[in-house]
Amino acid sequence: MVNITSISTASLPQLGPLMALLLMLAGCSSSTSIQLDTNFPPVLAEPRPISAAIVFEARFSNYSAEPNQYTSMAIGNAQVELFKNAFTGLFDPVEFVSAEEEIQGQPSLVIRPSVWEVQMSTPSENYLNVFEVWIKYNLEIKTADGEVLTTWFMPTYGKTPESSMGSKSAAIEKATITAIRDAGAKLHLDFYQIPALKNWLARDPQPYRQVTADAPGGVN
Amino acid sequence: MKPIMQCANLLVIPLWLLVLLAGCGATTTIDQYRPSEQPIVITEGERIVLLGRRDAADYETDLAYIDCVSEKIQTAGIDVVDGQVFMDAIYPWFEPRTAPKGLVHLRQLLQQPQIRQQIDRQGLRYLVWLDGSTESQDTTGSISCAVGPGVGGCFGFAKWDKLSTYEAVVWDLHSLQEQGRLRVDSEGSSYLIGVVAPIPLLTPVKSDACNGMGNQLKSFFSTQ
Repeated sequence: MVNITSISTASLPQLGPLMALLLMLAGCSSSTSIQLDTNFPPVLAEPRPISAAIVFEARFSNYSAEPNQYTSMAIGNAQVELFKNAFTGLFDPVEFVSAEEEIQGQPSLVIRPSVWEVQMSTPSENYLNVFEVWIKYNLEIKTADGEVLTTWFMPTYGKTPESSMGSKSAAIEKATITAIRDAGAKLHLDFYQIPALKNWLARDPQPYRQVTADAPGGVN
Repeated sequence: MKPIMQCANLLVIPLWLLVLLAGCGATTTIDQYRPSEQPIVITEGERIVLLGRRDAADYETDLAYIDCVSEKIQTAGIDVVDGQVFMDAIYPWFEPRTAPKGLVHLRQLLQQPQIRQQIDRQGLRYLVWLDGSTESQDTTGSISCAVGPGVGGCFGFAKWDKLSTYEAVVWDLHSLQEQGRLRVDSEGSSYLIGVVAPIPLLTPVKSDACNGMGNQLKSFFSTQ
Protein backbone atom coordinates (compact mmCIF):
# COMPACT_ATOMS: atom_id res chain seq x y z
CA MET A 1 0.00 0.00 0.00
CA VAL A 2 1.46 3.34 -0.99
CA ASN A 3 0.93 6.21 1.40
CA ILE A 4 0.08 9.06 -0.95
CA THR A 5 0.68 11.73 1.68
CA SER A 6 4.31 10.68 2.02
CA ILE A 7 5.15 11.62 -1.59
CA SER A 8 6.90 14.95 -1.56
CA THR A 9 6.58 17.48 -4.38
CA ALA A 10 10.27 16.99 -5.15
CA SER A 11 9.62 13.41 -6.13
CA LEU A 12 6.78 14.31 -8.55
CA PRO A 13 9.04 14.63 -11.63
CA GLN A 14 10.26 11.08 -10.96
CA LEU A 15 6.66 9.91 -11.14
CA GLY A 16 6.32 11.23 -14.69
CA PRO A 17 7.30 8.00 -16.48
CA LEU A 18 5.09 6.00 -14.13
CA MET A 19 2.13 8.27 -14.86
CA ALA A 20 2.80 8.02 -18.60
CA LEU A 21 2.88 4.21 -18.34
CA LEU A 22 -0.37 4.22 -16.37
CA LEU A 23 -2.02 6.43 -18.98
CA MET A 24 -0.84 4.10 -21.75
CA LEU A 25 -2.18 1.06 -19.89
CA ALA A 26 -5.49 2.85 -19.30
CA GLY A 27 -5.67 3.44 -23.07
CA CYS A 28 -5.27 -0.29 -23.64
CA SER A 29 -8.60 -1.08 -21.94
CA SER A 30 -10.21 0.72 -24.90
CA SER A 31 -13.75 1.26 -23.71
CA THR A 32 -16.08 2.76 -26.32
CA SER A 33 -19.25 4.71 -25.76
CA ILE A 34 -21.41 5.83 -28.67
CA GLN A 35 -24.33 8.23 -28.57
CA LEU A 36 -26.10 8.12 -31.94
CA ASP A 37 -28.20 11.13 -32.87
CA THR A 38 -27.79 10.75 -36.59
CA ASN A 39 -30.33 12.08 -39.05
CA PHE A 40 -31.58 9.57 -41.55
CA PRO A 41 -32.97 10.38 -44.98
CA PRO A 42 -36.66 9.93 -45.82
CA VAL A 43 -37.39 6.82 -47.85
CA LEU A 44 -38.11 7.05 -51.53
CA ALA A 45 -41.19 4.88 -51.74
CA GLU A 46 -44.91 5.12 -52.30
CA PRO A 47 -46.78 4.06 -49.14
CA ARG A 48 -49.75 1.72 -49.32
CA PRO A 49 -53.12 3.07 -48.23
CA ILE A 50 -53.15 1.11 -45.00
CA SER A 51 -53.56 2.85 -41.67
CA ALA A 52 -51.08 1.88 -38.99
CA ALA A 53 -49.91 2.95 -35.56
CA ILE A 54 -46.31 2.40 -34.55
CA VAL A 55 -45.67 2.09 -30.84
CA PHE A 56 -42.20 3.15 -29.73
CA GLU A 57 -42.08 2.15 -26.11
CA ALA A 58 -39.67 3.93 -23.78
CA ARG A 59 -37.26 0.99 -23.64
CA PHE A 60 -37.04 1.11 -27.45
CA SER A 61 -36.66 4.88 -27.82
CA ASN A 62 -34.12 5.02 -24.96
CA TYR A 63 -32.39 1.81 -25.91
CA SER A 64 -28.73 1.49 -25.09
CA ALA A 65 -26.90 -1.68 -26.10
CA GLU A 66 -23.89 -3.20 -24.40
CA PRO A 67 -22.61 -5.80 -26.84
CA ASN A 68 -19.58 -6.39 -24.59
CA GLN A 69 -18.23 -5.06 -21.29
CA TYR A 70 -16.17 -2.35 -23.00
CA THR A 71 -18.77 -1.00 -25.42
CA SER A 72 -22.03 0.85 -25.00
CA MET A 73 -24.17 2.21 -27.82
CA ALA A 74 -27.10 4.55 -27.18
CA ILE A 75 -29.07 3.92 -30.37
CA GLY A 76 -32.62 4.73 -29.18
CA ASN A 77 -33.04 8.15 -30.82
CA ALA A 78 -31.44 7.04 -34.07
CA GLN A 79 -33.54 3.92 -34.50
CA VAL A 80 -36.76 5.80 -33.70
CA GLU A 81 -35.97 8.36 -36.39
CA LEU A 82 -35.12 5.66 -38.93
CA PHE A 83 -38.25 3.62 -38.17
CA LYS A 84 -40.42 6.74 -38.44
CA ASN A 85 -39.02 7.42 -41.90
CA ALA A 86 -39.28 3.80 -42.96
CA PHE A 87 -42.87 3.30 -41.79
CA THR A 88 -43.93 6.60 -43.37
CA GLY A 89 -42.88 5.02 -46.66
CA LEU A 90 -44.88 1.85 -45.94
CA PHE A 91 -48.23 3.11 -44.62
CA ASP A 92 -50.55 6.01 -45.19
CA PRO A 93 -51.80 7.24 -42.79
CA VAL A 94 -49.37 6.37 -40.02
CA GLU A 95 -49.33 7.45 -36.41
CA PHE A 96 -46.40 7.26 -33.96
CA VAL A 97 -47.06 6.88 -30.25
CA SER A 98 -45.13 5.87 -27.16
CA ALA A 99 -47.88 3.59 -25.75
CA GLU A 100 -50.89 1.80 -27.24
CA GLU A 101 -53.22 3.83 -25.03
CA GLU A 102 -52.14 7.00 -26.85
CA ILE A 103 -53.39 5.85 -30.27
CA GLN A 104 -55.83 8.48 -31.55
CA GLY A 105 -57.20 7.05 -34.78
CA GLN A 106 -58.48 3.59 -35.71
CA PRO A 107 -55.45 1.99 -37.33
CA SER A 108 -55.78 -1.31 -39.12
CA LEU A 109 -52.39 -2.42 -37.85
CA VAL A 110 -50.50 -1.77 -34.64
CA ILE A 111 -46.78 -2.45 -34.79
CA ARG A 112 -44.49 -2.55 -31.77
CA PRO A 113 -40.78 -2.80 -32.59
CA SER A 114 -38.28 -3.96 -29.99
CA VAL A 115 -34.60 -4.80 -29.91
CA TRP A 116 -33.86 -8.40 -29.14
CA GLU A 117 -30.07 -8.25 -29.26
CA VAL A 118 -27.09 -6.23 -30.47
CA GLN A 119 -23.82 -7.91 -31.33
CA MET A 120 -20.50 -6.49 -32.42
CA SER A 121 -17.30 -7.88 -33.86
CA THR A 122 -13.91 -6.19 -34.16
CA PRO A 123 -10.98 -7.04 -36.45
CA SER A 124 -9.18 -8.76 -33.56
CA GLU A 125 -12.18 -11.08 -33.18
CA ASN A 126 -13.20 -11.75 -36.77
CA TYR A 127 -9.71 -11.68 -38.35
CA LEU A 128 -11.07 -9.40 -41.06
CA ASN A 129 -10.28 -5.74 -41.55
CA VAL A 130 -13.84 -4.72 -40.71
CA PHE A 131 -15.92 -3.74 -37.70
CA GLU A 132 -19.31 -5.43 -37.77
CA VAL A 133 -22.57 -4.69 -35.95
CA TRP A 134 -25.72 -6.82 -35.90
CA ILE A 135 -29.00 -5.50 -34.53
CA LYS A 136 -31.79 -8.02 -34.14
CA TYR A 137 -35.26 -6.48 -34.06
CA ASN A 138 -38.62 -8.03 -33.31
CA LEU A 139 -41.73 -6.45 -34.78
CA GLU A 140 -44.96 -7.43 -33.10
CA ILE A 141 -47.72 -6.89 -35.65
CA LYS A 142 -51.29 -6.76 -34.41
CA THR A 143 -54.64 -6.07 -36.04
CA ALA A 144 -57.03 -3.38 -34.81
CA ASP A 145 -58.92 -5.92 -32.70
CA GLY A 146 -55.78 -7.08 -30.92
CA GLU A 147 -55.06 -10.28 -32.86
CA VAL A 148 -51.31 -10.82 -33.06
CA LEU A 149 -50.60 -11.62 -36.70
CA THR A 150 -46.95 -12.37 -36.14
CA THR A 151 -43.81 -11.35 -34.32
CA TRP A 152 -41.42 -10.79 -37.16
CA PHE A 153 -37.72 -11.29 -36.53
CA MET A 154 -35.72 -8.71 -38.46
CA PRO A 155 -31.92 -8.92 -38.26
CA THR A 156 -29.91 -6.03 -39.68
CA TYR A 157 -26.20 -5.76 -40.37
CA GLY A 158 -23.60 -3.07 -40.85
CA LYS A 159 -19.86 -3.10 -41.33
CA THR A 160 -17.13 -0.58 -41.89
CA PRO A 161 -13.50 -1.04 -42.92
CA GLU A 162 -10.92 -0.60 -40.20
CA SER A 163 -8.64 1.47 -42.38
CA SER A 164 -11.11 4.18 -43.40
CA MET A 165 -11.87 5.39 -39.86
CA GLY A 166 -9.57 7.29 -37.56
CA SER A 167 -10.55 5.49 -34.38
CA LYS A 168 -12.25 2.39 -33.09
CA SER A 169 -15.26 4.33 -31.80
CA ALA A 170 -15.69 6.11 -35.17
CA ALA A 171 -15.57 2.75 -36.96
CA ILE A 172 -18.14 1.17 -34.59
CA GLU A 173 -20.38 4.24 -34.92
CA LYS A 174 -20.27 4.03 -38.72
CA ALA A 175 -21.02 0.30 -38.65
CA THR A 176 -23.95 0.93 -36.29
CA ILE A 177 -25.37 3.64 -38.56
CA THR A 178 -25.08 1.24 -41.50
CA ALA A 179 -26.89 -1.46 -39.50
CA ILE A 180 -29.72 0.95 -38.61
CA ARG A 181 -29.99 2.10 -42.24
CA ASP A 182 -30.15 -1.56 -43.16
CA ALA A 183 -33.35 -1.80 -41.12
CA GLY A 184 -35.00 0.63 -43.56
CA ALA A 185 -33.81 -1.44 -46.51
CA LYS A 186 -34.96 -4.70 -44.94
CA LEU A 187 -38.40 -3.25 -44.11
CA HIS A 188 -38.95 -2.01 -47.65
CA LEU A 189 -37.79 -5.24 -49.24
CA ASP A 190 -39.55 -7.74 -47.03
CA PHE A 191 -42.30 -6.23 -44.90
CA TYR A 192 -45.17 -6.93 -47.29
CA GLN A 193 -43.72 -10.40 -47.95
CA ILE A 194 -44.31 -11.55 -44.36
CA PRO A 195 -46.58 -14.59 -44.84
CA ALA A 196 -48.95 -13.75 -41.97
CA LEU A 197 -49.35 -10.20 -43.25
CA LYS A 198 -49.89 -11.35 -46.82
CA ASN A 199 -52.61 -13.75 -45.67
CA TRP A 200 -54.28 -11.03 -43.64
CA LEU A 201 -54.19 -8.59 -46.55
CA ALA A 202 -55.69 -11.26 -48.80
CA ARG A 203 -58.57 -12.12 -46.48
CA ASP A 204 -59.39 -8.79 -44.91
CA PRO A 205 -60.43 -5.84 -47.05
CA GLN A 206 -60.61 -3.61 -43.96
CA PRO A 207 -57.06 -2.26 -44.15
CA TYR A 208 -58.16 0.12 -46.85
CA ARG A 209 -61.17 1.48 -45.01
CA GLN A 210 -59.60 4.76 -43.95
CA VAL A 211 -58.55 5.98 -47.36
CA THR A 212 -60.40 7.00 -50.44
CA ALA A 213 -60.47 4.74 -53.48
CA ASP A 214 -58.27 7.04 -55.55
CA ALA A 215 -55.59 7.50 -52.89
CA PRO A 216 -52.04 7.89 -54.28
CA GLY A 217 -50.14 4.68 -54.56
CA GLY A 218 -53.20 2.48 -54.63
CA VAL A 219 -53.23 -1.07 -53.43
CA ASN A 220 -50.43 -3.08 -54.96
CA MET B 1 44.34 -0.89 -56.04
CA LYS B 2 43.69 -0.02 -52.37
CA PRO B 3 42.10 3.42 -53.04
CA ILE B 4 39.77 1.81 -55.58
CA MET B 5 38.62 -0.74 -52.97
CA GLN B 6 38.03 2.05 -50.43
CA CYS B 7 36.03 3.96 -52.99
CA ALA B 8 33.96 0.86 -53.76
CA ASN B 9 33.31 0.35 -50.04
CA LEU B 10 32.12 3.94 -49.75
CA LEU B 11 29.70 3.40 -52.63
CA VAL B 12 28.08 0.33 -51.06
CA ILE B 13 25.73 2.23 -48.74
CA PRO B 14 24.43 4.74 -51.32
CA LEU B 15 23.99 1.90 -53.83
CA TRP B 16 22.11 -0.15 -51.27
CA LEU B 17 19.84 2.80 -50.54
CA LEU B 18 19.29 3.37 -54.25
CA VAL B 19 18.28 -0.25 -54.73
CA LEU B 20 15.84 0.06 -51.82
CA LEU B 21 14.38 3.29 -53.12
CA ALA B 22 14.01 1.79 -56.58
CA GLY B 23 12.07 -1.02 -54.91
CA CYS B 24 9.67 1.58 -53.48
CA GLY B 25 8.06 2.21 -56.85
CA ALA B 26 4.75 0.44 -57.38
CA THR B 27 4.04 -1.59 -60.50
CA THR B 28 0.62 -0.75 -61.87
CA THR B 29 -1.25 -2.71 -64.52
CA ILE B 30 -4.44 -1.43 -66.13
CA ASP B 31 -6.85 -3.55 -68.16
CA GLN B 32 -9.90 -2.12 -69.76
CA TYR B 33 -12.86 -3.20 -71.84
CA ARG B 34 -15.05 -0.80 -73.78
CA PRO B 35 -17.64 -1.57 -76.43
CA SER B 36 -16.50 1.48 -78.41
CA GLU B 37 -13.24 3.34 -78.89
CA GLN B 38 -15.12 6.64 -78.86
CA PRO B 39 -15.18 8.49 -75.55
CA ILE B 40 -18.49 8.75 -73.73
CA VAL B 41 -19.74 12.27 -74.29
CA ILE B 42 -21.12 14.05 -71.23
CA THR B 43 -23.35 16.92 -72.24
CA GLU B 44 -24.27 20.05 -70.30
CA GLY B 45 -26.23 19.19 -67.13
CA GLU B 46 -25.28 15.51 -67.12
CA ARG B 47 -23.51 14.20 -64.06
CA ILE B 48 -21.91 11.00 -62.87
CA VAL B 49 -21.77 9.31 -59.47
CA LEU B 50 -19.10 6.98 -58.09
CA LEU B 51 -20.19 4.36 -55.58
CA GLY B 52 -18.14 1.73 -53.76
CA ARG B 53 -19.34 -1.83 -53.62
CA ARG B 54 -20.05 -2.83 -50.02
CA ASP B 55 -21.50 -6.30 -50.36
CA ALA B 56 -18.32 -8.40 -50.02
CA ALA B 57 -18.02 -10.25 -46.73
CA ASP B 58 -14.45 -9.37 -45.85
CA TYR B 59 -13.88 -5.84 -47.16
CA GLU B 60 -15.53 -2.62 -48.29
CA THR B 61 -14.29 -0.37 -51.02
CA ASP B 62 -12.91 2.41 -48.87
CA LEU B 63 -14.19 5.95 -49.06
CA ALA B 64 -10.72 7.49 -49.28
CA TYR B 65 -10.09 5.64 -52.54
CA ILE B 66 -13.48 6.63 -53.97
CA ASP B 67 -12.86 10.27 -53.04
CA CYS B 68 -9.41 10.13 -54.62
CA VAL B 69 -10.74 8.76 -57.93
CA SER B 70 -13.61 11.24 -57.81
CA GLU B 71 -11.18 14.16 -57.46
CA LYS B 72 -9.15 12.91 -60.44
CA ILE B 73 -12.26 12.73 -62.61
CA GLN B 74 -13.41 16.18 -61.59
CA THR B 75 -10.16 17.65 -62.90
CA ALA B 76 -11.47 16.84 -66.40
CA GLY B 77 -14.44 19.16 -65.81
CA ILE B 78 -16.86 16.30 -65.16
CA ASP B 79 -19.59 17.02 -62.61
CA VAL B 80 -19.47 14.26 -60.00
CA VAL B 81 -22.30 13.83 -57.47
CA ASP B 82 -21.23 12.94 -53.94
CA GLY B 83 -21.95 9.25 -53.35
CA GLN B 84 -23.48 9.74 -49.90
CA VAL B 85 -25.76 12.52 -51.19
CA PHE B 86 -26.95 10.18 -53.95
CA MET B 87 -27.54 7.26 -51.57
CA ASP B 88 -29.50 9.50 -49.19
CA ALA B 89 -31.62 10.92 -52.02
CA ILE B 90 -32.50 7.44 -53.22
CA TYR B 91 -32.64 5.70 -49.83
CA PRO B 92 -33.05 2.75 -49.28
CA TRP B 93 -32.41 1.47 -52.81
CA PHE B 94 -28.61 1.67 -52.91
CA GLU B 95 -27.84 0.23 -49.48
CA PRO B 96 -25.62 -2.90 -49.39
CA ARG B 97 -28.74 -5.09 -49.12
CA THR B 98 -30.68 -3.42 -51.93
CA ALA B 99 -28.14 -2.03 -54.43
CA PRO B 100 -28.46 -3.64 -57.87
CA LYS B 101 -25.71 -6.18 -58.50
CA GLY B 102 -26.24 -6.25 -62.23
CA LEU B 103 -28.04 -4.50 -65.05
CA VAL B 104 -31.07 -6.77 -64.77
CA HIS B 105 -31.68 -5.54 -61.23
CA LEU B 106 -30.95 -1.95 -62.22
CA ARG B 107 -33.60 -2.15 -64.95
CA GLN B 108 -36.12 -3.56 -62.44
CA LEU B 109 -35.29 -0.80 -59.96
CA LEU B 110 -35.65 1.99 -62.48
CA GLN B 111 -39.10 0.77 -63.42
CA GLN B 112 -40.26 2.42 -60.20
CA PRO B 113 -41.28 5.91 -61.30
CA GLN B 114 -40.17 7.70 -58.12
CA ILE B 115 -36.65 6.26 -58.43
CA ARG B 116 -36.42 7.16 -62.11
CA GLN B 117 -37.63 10.68 -61.34
CA GLN B 118 -35.11 11.14 -58.55
CA ILE B 119 -32.24 10.10 -60.83
CA ASP B 120 -33.44 12.44 -63.56
CA ARG B 121 -33.89 15.27 -61.04
CA GLN B 122 -30.22 14.96 -60.07
CA GLY B 123 -29.13 14.98 -63.70
CA LEU B 124 -27.40 11.63 -63.26
CA ARG B 125 -26.35 9.96 -66.48
CA TYR B 126 -23.61 7.52 -65.49
CA LEU B 127 -23.02 5.37 -62.43
CA VAL B 128 -19.49 4.11 -61.82
CA TRP B 129 -19.16 1.17 -59.43
CA LEU B 130 -15.78 0.87 -57.76
CA ASP B 131 -14.92 -2.45 -56.16
CA GLY B 132 -11.69 -3.54 -54.55
CA SER B 133 -9.27 -3.20 -51.68
CA THR B 134 -5.62 -2.86 -50.71
CA GLU B 135 -4.10 -5.77 -48.82
CA SER B 136 -0.74 -6.30 -47.13
CA GLN B 137 0.96 -9.57 -47.98
CA ASP B 138 4.20 -11.46 -47.31
CA THR B 139 5.69 -9.66 -44.32
CA THR B 140 9.30 -10.66 -43.75
CA GLY B 141 12.09 -9.61 -41.40
CA SER B 142 11.81 -8.21 -37.91
CA ILE B 143 12.59 -5.02 -36.10
CA SER B 144 13.10 -4.56 -32.37
CA CYS B 145 12.95 -1.38 -30.36
CA ALA B 146 14.25 -0.96 -26.83
CA VAL B 147 14.30 1.93 -24.37
CA GLY B 148 16.65 2.13 -21.39
CA PRO B 149 17.73 4.88 -19.01
CA GLY B 150 19.02 7.62 -21.29
CA VAL B 151 19.25 5.43 -24.37
CA GLY B 152 16.95 3.80 -26.86
CA GLY B 153 16.71 2.69 -30.43
CA CYS B 154 15.40 0.31 -33.02
CA PHE B 155 17.39 -2.30 -34.92
CA GLY B 156 16.40 -4.63 -37.66
CA PHE B 157 14.74 -4.73 -41.04
CA ALA B 158 11.19 -5.47 -42.10
CA LYS B 159 9.66 -5.74 -45.54
CA TRP B 160 6.08 -6.19 -46.65
CA ASP B 161 4.28 -6.27 -49.97
CA LYS B 162 1.06 -4.48 -50.73
CA LEU B 163 -1.40 -5.24 -53.49
CA SER B 164 -4.21 -2.95 -54.59
CA THR B 165 -6.85 -4.45 -56.87
CA TYR B 166 -9.75 -2.29 -57.98
CA GLU B 167 -12.35 -2.65 -60.68
CA ALA B 168 -14.62 0.04 -62.12
CA VAL B 169 -17.80 -0.64 -64.06
CA VAL B 170 -19.59 2.19 -65.89
CA TRP B 171 -23.38 1.97 -66.23
CA ASP B 172 -25.41 4.27 -68.44
CA LEU B 173 -28.54 5.17 -66.48
CA HIS B 174 -30.42 6.18 -69.64
CA SER B 175 -29.73 3.26 -71.97
CA LEU B 176 -29.28 0.92 -68.98
CA GLN B 177 -26.23 -0.63 -70.63
CA GLU B 178 -22.68 -1.19 -69.47
CA GLN B 179 -20.36 1.34 -71.09
CA GLY B 180 -17.02 0.03 -69.96
CA ARG B 181 -15.03 -1.92 -67.44
CA LEU B 182 -11.63 -1.15 -66.01
CA ARG B 183 -9.30 -3.05 -63.69
CA VAL B 184 -6.22 -1.68 -61.95
CA ASP B 185 -3.65 -3.84 -60.14
CA SER B 186 -0.88 -2.06 -58.32
CA GLU B 187 1.77 -3.78 -56.23
CA GLY B 188 4.92 -2.81 -54.45
CA SER B 189 7.11 -3.43 -51.43
CA SER B 190 7.62 -1.21 -48.43
CA TYR B 191 10.52 -1.33 -45.99
CA LEU B 192 11.21 -0.36 -42.42
CA ILE B 193 14.88 -0.05 -41.52
CA GLY B 194 15.86 0.20 -37.87
CA VAL B 195 19.17 2.03 -37.52
CA VAL B 196 18.69 3.65 -34.09
CA ALA B 197 15.64 5.46 -35.47
CA PRO B 198 13.13 3.51 -37.57
CA ILE B 199 13.29 4.67 -41.21
CA PRO B 200 10.17 3.86 -43.23
CA LEU B 201 10.41 3.57 -47.02
CA LEU B 202 6.78 3.28 -48.06
CA THR B 203 5.49 2.52 -51.52
CA PRO B 204 2.30 4.45 -52.36
CA VAL B 205 0.49 1.44 -53.81
CA LYS B 206 -3.06 2.70 -53.22
CA SER B 207 -2.19 6.17 -54.44
CA ASP B 208 -0.78 4.71 -57.66
CA ALA B 209 -3.90 2.59 -58.09
CA CYS B 210 -6.00 5.76 -57.66
CA ASN B 211 -3.92 7.69 -60.21
CA GLY B 212 -4.16 4.82 -62.70
CA MET B 213 -7.90 4.41 -62.22
CA GLY B 214 -8.66 8.15 -62.21
CA ASN B 215 -6.64 8.95 -65.30
CA GLN B 216 -8.00 5.99 -67.24
CA LEU B 217 -11.59 6.77 -66.28
CA LYS B 218 -11.03 10.37 -67.39
CA SER B 219 -10.15 9.05 -70.82
CA PHE B 220 -13.50 7.19 -70.92
CA PHE B 221 -15.38 10.49 -70.87
CA SER B 222 -15.28 13.70 -72.80
CA THR B 223 -17.20 16.85 -71.94
CA GLN B 224 -18.98 19.12 -74.40
